[in-house]
Amino acid sequence: MKISFELNGELKYLEVDPGERLAALLRRLGMKSIKEGCGTGDCGACTVLVDGRAVRSCLMVAPQVQGRRVMTVEGLGTLDDPHPLQRAFLDSGAVQCGFCTPGMILVAHELLTRNSSPTPDQVREAISGNLCRCTGYVKIVDAVLLAARWKREGKWR
Amino acid sequence: MHGGRVRRFHFARDVEEALSLLAAYGSRGAVLAGGVDLLRSPRGDVEGLVDITRIGLSSVRETGGGVAIGATTTLSGVLESQAGHDYAGGILPEVLRAVASLPLRNMATLGGAVVSAHPWADIPTALVALGAEVRWQGEREGRSLVEELYRTPFRGLFRSAVVTEVRFPPWNGAFAYEKVGRTRYDIALLNACCGVGVEDGRIAWARVAVGARPTRGERLPWAEEALVGRVPGEPLWNEVRRLVEERIEVGEDRRASGEWRRTVAGVLVARAVARAARKASA
Repeated sequence: MKISFELNGELKYLEVDPGERLAALLRRLGMKSIKEGCGTGDCGACTVLVDGRAVRSCLMVAPQVQGRRVMTVEGLGTLDDPHPLQRAFLDSGAVQCGFCTPGMILVAHELLTRNSSPTPDQVREAISGNLCRCTGYVKIVDAVLLAARWKREGKWR
Repeated sequence: MHGGRVRRFHFARDVEEALSLLAAYGSRGAVLAGGVDLLRSPRGDVEGLVDITRIGLSSVRETGGGVAIGATTTLSGVLESQAGHDYAGGILPEVLRAVASLPLRNMATLGGAVVSAHPWADIPTALVALGAEVRWQGEREGRSLVEELYRTPFRGLFRSAVVTEVRFPPWNGAFAYEKVGRTRYDIALLNACCGVGVEDGRIAWARVAVGARPTRGERLPWAEEALVGRVPGEPLWNEVRRLVEERIEVGEDRRASGEWRRTVAGVLVARAVARAARKASA
């Protein structure tokens, strides 16, 4: 079946299998930031934003995004021009293997969109469904709080 | 769910079309709302998916002190609504924040939680405690208290019917929710939802439900009777804790022993009743 949706600001109109997982479709489209870790929505490595909401792309079929806006980390920033959230993760040492990082950043993006002054506990709650097996969570919480401070200081584009 | 066998995906335009499509697919069709449980299910026979998220069943509205929530309203949608926030001493945000993680709350729907009714889930325990009523459309319109629905073999019903709304009645009092899980977003090892009304310094009514025992949440009428007419306070909470420990029926599974559940059930009920009483008296 044909579906159309916006992916990182670009309109897509393409053929999908009706049962194809959104995670698989997005990886097929080159969005390799999306990882299928558990396939059951528990690890958060496949997180994307749909209409600004963090969701698990492994628990959606592709047709569900018909007419929606989908954003992955590829749409957030680039190597040359990272988004402040990405910069905050680098500056805070919150990245090690990188497997969980895109999901962490997108969940944080939704949090900071709604609340630019989160408490550390609110950050921990927001990322509680995203698993990191490398760094522990302290640096990740630090990174989100740093990005929040930059946002309050008007440093987000 | 095995996605490779899905042949067609439909956005139903209204409930009638959804029912018609489900009838056409028979046992090979499935309603899709949040998708959280369906896509994790072992079903390998689904050929037709019927998406009901775009037929106007996402709403939260106040109904004379109660609240009516459309079946496809996401848990986040309920959490962010004023009507959901204000209901019965703020019990809905308390329960829903205990459910899974933010991204899953952005997907999962209240109707889906009613139908999935996992025994370890948070929401069914609260629905039973709160006296929630579920409404659906099948061959005929139907409605039932969730508590009564769960005493029937209800899963078959929702293969050919669509949940449309969940209604929560008004309560002159407040509820509180307690849960023990291994992590912040884990399923419950045990949960309790309790409510009380306080009039003239005494408990006028009480609702006590305990879930994940490991069976689905059910009310404890004998605990409720023990509370009514009594003066709220520490002696009563200790009494109800001991009573629950003595009388509650619990089982064991790989997650927790029956002995642990028995002890913790008393503690959770005592905590929830005490908090509900404080909220009701405030």
